[in-house]
Amino acid sequence: MRLLTAAVALTLVVTSAGVAGETVSITLPPESIALDAGRGMDQTQTSCRMCHSLDYITTQPGGGTAQWQGVVTKMMKVYGAPISDQDAKLIAEYLATHYGPR
Amino acid sequence: MRDRVDEVSRRRFLLTAGVAAATVYGCRLSFAADVDPLLAGRQLVRYPEKTDLILLTARPPQLETPLSYFDRAITPNDAFFVRYHIFPIPTSVDLDQWRLEVKGHVDKPLSLSMDDLKRFPPASVTAVVQCSGNSRGRFAPRVLGGQWGDGAMGNAVWTGARLQDVLKAAGARASALDVTFDGLDKPAFPSVPDFVKALDLQRIMSDPDVIVAYEMNGQRLPMLNGFPARLVVPGWYATYWVKNLSEITVLTDRFEKFWMKPGYRIPDTPCGCVEPGTAPKNTVPITRMTVRSFIASPASGTRVAVNQPVALKGIAFDGGYGIREVQVSDNLGLTWSRATLGPDHGRYSFREWSATWRPTGAGNARLMVRAVNGIGESQGYEPLWNPAGYLRNVIEQIALVVD
Repeated sequence: MRLLTAAVALTLVVTSAGVAGETVSITLPPESIALDAGRGMDQTQTSCRMCHSLDYITTQPGGGTAQWQGVVTKMMKVYGAPISDQDAKLIAEYLATHYGPR
Repeated sequence: MRDRVDEVSRRRFLLTAGVAAATVYGCRLSFAADVDPLLAGRQLVRYPEKTDLILLTARPPQLETPLSYFDRAITPNDAFFVRYHIFPIPTSVDLDQWRLEVKGHVDKPLSLSMDDLKRFPPASVTAVVQCSGNSRGRFAPRVLGGQWGDGAMGNAVWTGARLQDVLKAAGARASALDVTFDGLDKPAFPSVPDFVKALDLQRIMSDPDVIVAYEMNGQRLPMLNGFPARLVVPGWYATYWVKNLSEITVLTDRFEKFWMKPGYRIPDTPCGCVEPGTAPKNTVPITRMTVRSFIASPASGTRVAVNQPVALKGIAFDGGYGIREVQVSDNLGLTWSRATLGPDHGRYSFREWSATWRPTGAGNARLMVRAVNGIGESQGYEPLWNPAGYLRNVIEQIALVVD
C-alpha cells in the first residue's frame, strides 16, 4: 500500500509469472530554490538551470570572484555549458556578490 | 612509536577541540540540523518511494539520510540516500522493455531481460554503499562539490546475479582489461560526459561478491536507488555502484573517460591525503572505503540527567576487512572503553554497536567513537584532507548537555 501513493504509479500488467510486465514510474517534485535578486541574476538562473537546480549554488561554500570564475569556467570548458564570455563574467560577479565568503 | 604519534596527534586535537567545545548547542531534539551548522536550513523533503530525507540538490536529485537512521545495521530502503550525477534520470522503467546489454570484447553478446538475470544463481551480500564525498561539507579548508553531512551512506542486503557469472555467460575474453558500466541516466547535452564507470576484469573475476543486484532488503530497488538493477561493489565507494544499469561493455584497454579521470581520484599517497590546501602531484582512482564509526543515538545536543545511564548506539564499517572493535571515550580520548558489538552481518556490512555511559557531573559533555578493522586500521583525531573532499574518516563525536 505504501507504494501506491500519489507520487508513485505502480502498474501491474497482466502477466503469467514473475516480474515481467511491471512498470515502475515516479514523478519528481518541482525545484523550489530561488536565487537572491540582483544584477546578473537572470543570466545566472538561465545558464545554470540548463543542467542543474540552483541549490547546486546555494549549498556551496561562499567564495569570491576567483572561486566563482573558476566554477563558471569549469561549467563551460568541462561540461560544455553554452555561456558567452560576457555572461560568464556577469555570472561570476553576481555569485561573488550574493554568495561570497561567509 | 605508533602510540606516541597517536598521543601527539591527540594533544594537537585537544587544542582545537577546546575552541570547538565553546560552541553553543541547541536542545531541540527533532532534527540533526538543530545542532549541526552544516545541515541548518536544509529542507526535509519527501521524494517518491522515500521517507523524509535531507535535500542537498533537486536536479539531479541528491538526498541525504538523517543520522538517526544509523542506530541500526540495516538502512530502510525508503530512508536510503540518493545521489545522481547527470540529468535526466530515469523516472519510468517498463520491465518488458528493459534489457541489460553485455557487449564489447565478448564471444556472445547478451541482451538480458529481468527474467534472464534472475536465472543466474542468486547471490546475496550485506554491504555498505557510501558516497566518496560523504561528509565533504566538514572539510577545512572547505572544498567545492556536494556539501554532504554524514548521511550519504547506507547498508542493505543486496541480492542479484554474480557479475562474474554474467561475464562468463557472455564469454568475456581473457585478453580484456576493463569493463564499463552505464545506466539509464543520460546527460541533457552531448557535451556533458555520460556517467560511465569501469572496473578491472580480473578484479571482477576474482570477487564473487560483486553482483548485479535486483533486490535491496528483499524488495525491488526504489527507482532512485537504481531500479531495476544496480551494480554492487562491496567495500568500494558508491561511485562504482552504477544505478539503473543498462550496459556492460568489455574493453581491451583501460577506460579513462571523465568519471574515472579526472573524476573520482585521490592523491597517490599512502593516506590518500595531502597537506590541507595543496594539490597532489599524482592521483589514482578512489577505491576502498576507510574506517568510520558514528554515534547515532542519542542525537548531538540531547539533554541527559547526571548519574543516569545513557544508552549509546551507532554503527561502524570499513572497506571489507570487517570491524574488530568499537571504542568510546568521554574524556577527549584520554581513555577509551570497548563498546558491545551487535550481530555480524559480514565484513562489508555496518556493524551495530552499543555502550552505556553514565555522566558523573553536570555541564557539556563530549562523547567520541572510533573503530578498528580486521587489519588494525582505525580513525584519527585530526581529519585527513584532499582537494576533492573524499575518504573522510576522522574520529566522530557528539555533544550532550548533562543536567
